[in-house]
Amino acid sequence: MNDPESSKTDSADKWEVQLRKGSLEVAILAALWRSRLYGLEILRHFESNSDLVVVEGTIYPLLSRLRTLGLVESQWVESDSGHPRKYYSLTAAGRERALEMSRTWTHFAASLNNLLAPLNGAARLEKP
Amino acid sequence: MSLSEASQKAIDDYLAALRRQLRDLMEEDMNDIVEEIRAHILDKTSADANSAQVEETLAALGPPAALAARYRTEEMMRRAEAHRSGAQKTRIAARTAGFALATLLVVAVSGLGYFVGGVLFVIGIAKLMWPHGTGLWENHNPDGTWGYGLSGGSGNTPPANSHDLLGWWLLPIGLVLGPALIYATFRLGKWSWKKMWRPKKWQQVAGESQAGM
Repeated sequence: MNDPESSKTDSADKWEVQLRKGSLEVAILAALWRSRLYGLEILRHFESNSDLVVVEGTIYPLLSRLRTLGLVESQWVESDSGHPRKYYSLTAAGRERALEMSRTWTHFAASLNNLLAPLNGAARLEKP
Repeated sequence: MSLSEASQKAIDDYLAALRRQLRDLMEEDMNDIVEEIRAHILDKTSADANSAQVEETLAALGPPAALAARYRTEEMMRRAEAHRSGAQKTRIAARTAGFALATLLVVAVSGLGYFVGGVLFVIGIAKLMWPHGTGLWENHNPDGTWGYGLSGGSGNTPPANSHDLLGWWLLPIGLVLGPALIYATFRLGKWSWKKMWRPKKWQQVAGESQAGM
């Protein structure tokens, strides 16, 4: 606790956790952009297309909130596996929100990259 | 379905515990959540999964109490979001109404200022051109009634039975006070316009940064 080095890493970790958490919502909306998916498919989509590590228990409550907000809608569909699956798809409001969030993210990332530009050389020096 | 009895029991126990944790929800929502989690567990554990795989799947979801707590947290966030957007709508409506009212007031006051200033100026010019026919007249009518009127006479002759209250004072009043009133109205309009826009811009920026948090 008193070791300044470890508390520094701790707060960096926490920051990263918050960052990932904050981006999960837009990542879900983007995952549903092309087709409807069920929860596990969304998780697998993240696993194979990003380094977004999502704790399985977080995605279902989040989907539930997005549904009550009217950004996604859900539908139970029978499957070959013997049990029905709950599929999610974007509503019109969800598509709009996804576009809006994507624009905000792109703009934000570009402006932060500008601010981080002075660190680029330093990062290269530290990790040759 | 050839999950071992122990595995099946572990899944049932997990879902029963989750159901207990969600008992404050509406029955329909609770069933929906439990069924979705059941589908997730079954999808992750193939029919011949051993008990270790089932345990792993359940562990990845976290304890039922923690999972239920996440649903509750998300619901609280949703309510906060709905509340915030409602409050924002009210604030925007109030601001728009206030802005419209202020604009109306500024337009009315400005209109009156420009009109009176303009009339005074025209009267000043008229006094220059027809000095005897233009004035603030007090009329003594033959039937005993009294009346007042600005300007009045036909051409350069004063109206009958009247005398001028202001005389040559009408000249500076019309030619100085008129333009002065017009200028003052212009300045007042400019000032109120700035006053109306500045706080709005500030509120907009504050609102955006708040929404971005």
